[in-house]
Amino acid sequence: MRALVVLAHPNPESFNHAIAARVAATLRSLGHDVVVRDLYAEGFRAAMTAEEHEAYHGETPVVDPLVAEHIADLQRADTLIVVYPTWWSSMPAILKGWCERIMVPGVGFVFDARGRVRPGIKNIRRLIGVSTYGSPRWYVRLSADAGRRTVMRSMRLSTGWRTRSDWLAMYRMDARSAEDRDAFLAACEQRIRELAG
Amino acid sequence: MRAYVVFCHPRRQSFTGAALDRVLVGLAAGGHEVRVTDLYAEAFVPELDAAALAAHHVDHRGHPERRPGIEPYVEHLAWCDALVLVHPTWWSAQPAMLKGFFDRVLVKGVAYDLPEGADRIRPRLRHIRRLVVVTSHGSPKYVNAVQGESGKRIVGRTLRGLCSWRCRTRWIALYNIDRAGDAKRTAFLDRVERRLQRL
Repeated sequence: MRALVVLAHPNPESFNHAIAARVAATLRSLGHDVVVRDLYAEGFRAAMTAEEHEAYHGETPVVDPLVAEHIADLQRADTLIVVYPTWWSSMPAILKGWCERIMVPGVGFVFDARGRVRPGIKNIRRLIGVSTYGSPRWYVRLSADAGRRTVMRSMRLSTGWRTRSDWLAMYRMDARSAEDRDAFLAACEQRIRELAG
Repeated sequence: MRAYVVFCHPRRQSFTGAALDRVLVGLAAGGHEVRVTDLYAEAFVPELDAAALAAHHVDHRGHPERRPGIEPYVEHLAWCDALVLVHPTWWSAQPAMLKGFFDRVLVKGVAYDLPEGADRIRPRLRHIRRLVVVTSHGSPKYVNAVQGESGKRIVGRTLRGLCSWRCRTRWIALYNIDRAGDAKRTAFLDRVERRLQRL
């Protein structure tokens, strides 16, 4: 297994970082390849630039070398794992921008002979989303969890619907004890072992 | 009404930019007061950083004063009673730049309060009585439906829930723009102008 972990949290001491580290360590202990991309740490830009937008439908839609690196990681992987805190019912801007700037035509999707849009990253056979929420579960459900939809639906338009997807969530983060957090990390590890073992 | 227009597109001369022009024409014709923020032109920083996130976690008050750079936007939000978002739909939702505006500006102490000990938020945007989104999608409507219409849900549920009880939401969208001809585009722009005039 070759896994790409994309992490979107600004604080290196965060629980999201602990999750990504546990996931990566678990996969490595099972002998899998893991690349972790910490978007904030590497100064990834969220906003698509005017130059990128202009190039989007052209021959060379990738203009930023850092984006090219991410695309290479994505195309080598067979497992994509995104780890992020849910803000405003969705993913942080930096991760939304990652989707927009990485999954350009020819990468995220391709056009078939009849001009129809087809999945571009069919190499991704497994998709795992891990998110932390400030809100309780009922509120997340009520507000429709746009971030989860983006991962489980929009991303799977790029991977193909046969890609297996999993969702791991921790709600009411602010009210959680250290034991709860440890239990969630253990649950993440357990799930990764089941999937990758 | 007092309309605060937030425009988000990297290119002002785009179709979304043309929609903004018609939004402004419509609002002027309707006699509304207008303020405009062009996020790209103002080089808005969409990434919420660790310091701003720490302000969120200090205590229940949220401390917007510890979040440098958001003051003018907070003031515009307090001033307006209609919020108009003009943007393309990418990945079935707002572009990252506009999502970053939500992340950084619509924070605890500005968009909502979380009183000490409470487990649910209290809205602070009850003065907003109209929410209008003007957007275009590259793909047909059914593709957006399959994708889950994330952007529509963020506005229609999460943002709407913080506004007035009687806030009316208008979603003015042109789907399948990649294949839309001039006639459809013109009709859409006319519709945008009419709708904003009758805000």
